[in-house]
Amino acid sequence: MRTVDVIIVGAGLSAAAAAKRLVDAGLETIVLERQKLPRHKICSGILSPRGHRFLLENFGPLPREVLHDPVSCRGVTFHFPSMVSMPMDFFGGTTPHLHRKEADYWAVKSSGAEIHDQTSFVGLQDNGDHVIVKARRMGEPVEYRARQVIGADGPSSQVIRAIYPDYPQSIPWFFVGQKFHEIIECPLDEQYFHFWFHPGLGHYTWSHARDGRQIVGVGFKSGDNFAKKHANVVNYLSDKHGVRLGEPLDDEGCAENFGPSLINRYVFGKGNVLITGQASGFLNMIGEGMSCALHSGAICGEAVVEARLRNRPMQEMYRRMIASEVRRTTDQWNPLKIAFDRPHEADFPAALMAMGWRDRAKVLRDLWSFIVLYKEFKWGRQIFRAAMQRPLIGGYSMKRWL
Amino acid sequence: MAKSIDTGTMISETFQRKVIEPSTPSAYSDSCHVGPDALLGIKRQQTNPTRWNGQSWQEFAAALRDHDIELRENIAARGTFATDAGGTAYGLPHGVVIARSAAQVSALLKAAQQFRVPVTVRGGGLTTEGESVAFGGVLLDMTGMSQVLHVDTDALTVRTEGGIFWHSLAEELRRHGMDYLSAPLNLTSSVGGTLGVGGIDVNSPRLGCSADQALSVQVVTPRGNIVECSDTQNAELFQRVILGYGQFGVITEATLKIRRYTPLRMHYFYYDSLRIAVEDMQLLNRNDASDYSGILTIMDCAVNLLVAFDSDEREAAFRANWQSHLRGHGEPGFALCMLRRYVLRPWKLPEAWFLFQRKRELFPEFRRSEYMRDGLMHDRTVVFSRAVWKFWGSKQMVIPDLATSAEKFVEAVERGNAVCRKYFPHYTLYCVGIKLRPEHKAHYEMSCIPPDAEGWAYGCEFEPMIGGQVYSRDYFQSFKNAIYDIGVDLGGSYYRFGGMMKGYIRRVFGDEVVDRHLAMKREADPAMILNRDVIF
Repeated sequence: MRTVDVIIVGAGLSAAAAAKRLVDAGLETIVLERQKLPRHKICSGILSPRGHRFLLENFGPLPREVLHDPVSCRGVTFHFPSMVSMPMDFFGGTTPHLHRKEADYWAVKSSGAEIHDQTSFVGLQDNGDHVIVKARRMGEPVEYRARQVIGADGPSSQVIRAIYPDYPQSIPWFFVGQKFHEIIECPLDEQYFHFWFHPGLGHYTWSHARDGRQIVGVGFKSGDNFAKKHANVVNYLSDKHGVRLGEPLDDEGCAENFGPSLINRYVFGKGNVLITGQASGFLNMIGEGMSCALHSGAICGEAVVEARLRNRPMQEMYRRMIASEVRRTTDQWNPLKIAFDRPHEADFPAALMAMGWRDRAKVLRDLWSFIVLYKEFKWGRQIFRAAMQRPLIGGYSMKRWL
Repeated sequence: MAKSIDTGTMISETFQRKVIEPSTPSAYSDSCHVGPDALLGIKRQQTNPTRWNGQSWQEFAAALRDHDIELRENIAARGTFATDAGGTAYGLPHGVVIARSAAQVSALLKAAQQFRVPVTVRGGGLTTEGESVAFGGVLLDMTGMSQVLHVDTDALTVRTEGGIFWHSLAEELRRHGMDYLSAPLNLTSSVGGTLGVGGIDVNSPRLGCSADQALSVQVVTPRGNIVECSDTQNAELFQRVILGYGQFGVITEATLKIRRYTPLRMHYFYYDSLRIAVEDMQLLNRNDASDYSGILTIMDCAVNLLVAFDSDEREAAFRANWQSHLRGHGEPGFALCMLRRYVLRPWKLPEAWFLFQRKRELFPEFRRSEYMRDGLMHDRTVVFSRAVWKFWGSKQMVIPDLATSAEKFVEAVERGNAVCRKYFPHYTLYCVGIKLRPEHKAHYEMSCIPPDAEGWAYGCEFEPMIGGQVYSRDYFQSFKNAIYDIGVDLGGSYYRFGGMMKGYIRRVFGDEVVDRHLAMKREADPAMILNRDVIF
């Protein structure tokens, strides 16, 4: 059995960030990845400027091979059912369009941690002063002994299942899928990420260009039919935006835990097991999770180092340190913050005010009818409570975290 | 375009009093409208150094053993140095060497140069950006060299080893009735480290920064040569080593200017406007009206200007000529001022309560009977250093700073204050002037002294009171970046621009200056092993 300081489950961006902090501090760290690296990852790849900066500051300039074509994205364009479109540039210029397969591999390699790929996490046992991690390497069972385990294995986290078996049943699940189409004619600006606030299309509807193809994606509550939902969006784009696409050449989809950051219901783990990245529920408003993954991963690594050096309880340290990232992420969903502050990395209020009165009214009306789509999850009161908490206690309640 | 130092102009100080302008409400709080956690754009460039991979460490360790150099590799010895006062950078050296002599340091550096092993030199470890944290390699703990070698009370000089803390030096000097010129208020910084970066004190407006009191230093260069240098001997190396951020050598011994010890006659003036307090402090400095001056704020509406004197004559001259020009209040006058303020703004009563509490805790600390005799303050540095740690220091020292020329200083302070207000409920600003030595212009290049400063440079430290709060490194770094961006904008400099903040160096000093220094560094340290990741 291999004995190390920290085991990180998952080899995505949050794992890379956590590994970087741990390795810098001189802790022996192993990253476990189920698949063979570099591995495919379902993602739009549009990183926020804040995430781009994190990569630059921690892993250096991005090599060309970690980017798709077009290599960058200027901003987002919001489309509304009343056919108003709002293009908004990111603050501070364009951001990279990451090829997640290559980018994740590059980041995790740059962290300096030891990587064990084709090793899937099976379970763990927290014995107080150490954790035994059970895994399978190419079918063979292997065991590791570590002081701490970090679960950075994405929305359907096996590490969360190991410590909170009931958690996956307690939250609503969404499915997001995207298909890659041949482009016959596409008037949508390829410099932007396009997003539709259309209750008739889905909970999360987007399109953008990648490597000469057009991605059409849709997210909805688990249970609906992806093919039907997707065809509906393609027809809508063709009817309303004049987008003519060929047959899809490829498709992919995955389950998403969209919601915890809206209502401040994050999972940060238990004992010596810490959860970070999208597994803990971090997601920015436009569905971008990479920048939160990087920052929360780094904080997780910092917390492990800090708690060990100061001999403080691991969970307490992590939760107190992660509070700033929770504030930043949940602020993006906080209606009071959106109205009176600038929590996003593109200026929605300014773009709104730049339009005429009539368009402004249309946008607000469409936004409302889109929000109503989420009524069934009964998040309204929780969002309201979180919004009120923010000015009163200067943050969001830690009591709601798991 | 690089900002090069203009060596042509001499100091032209108009000893006239500036026209009082009505203080305008700060426009900056409105212009930066972004929530503190929502970081904008890509501007920030913070470097997180990569851990050294440990290549040829064993050979290096063997080479040290051959030279009888004790190398500590156990985890307890290495873990002691995992972070610095800033507490945001963590790194573990592969091994620790405690400095014993220049010859030992020389042998160490020669071996390090041969095996390309990074050497991080550490004195008090009071850096805030990980400059004294070893991301692998060997950590050289200078505190092993902490002897005072010789005090010359006639020539007013002291020869001391580089790893000594200022408070130990002070203790030794007191026995001879002597005092150093200026030292950082934080007395557990080492002499060598301070000479390498600057150091400010409340007497800096008169006596300059701490690094300027060095007459000569013994340096072990990165190639392992032991060289004595001063303004006349190896002047070029002296220019590089003083304020050189440890890039061009390890300071093993130093000869410092000293002076006769005097207790202080203290005066405190209170202001409700930062701008007016800064203007008054600059007025005192320009006119050489005080021996010590500095600003410490309790809140941005409760600003304390501290003025002190070495002799009764200087104090009398101040009372006769300058006291009436100051626009600050005494304690009772300021109490009335505050009373009026909060009667008119009852919703700000918690603020008043905080002020009152702070006054109750803080003021007696500066008047403790063991340091006050006959109304004179003895051992000011102990008093201040104690208070700094007790009331401002926390587990993490977060003190970004701005250094500018006299003209830009008010703007820098006001803009920095607006940033602090956005990030932290309570914070302190510490402002002080630094008298420059025109003949030391070469020392000042690429240092905390802003290139455009003439006569005096001014520095302001922005220090949040963290208390029991825990903030993530990202939060602190975004705060620091917001402060540092002001410096870039104003064309100023910083005291703490190295380490994780080194991304600012090229933005502030320009490529031409940085590349020139980089070429010199490559020449002096071919394997680039000495204090890696601090500047280059």
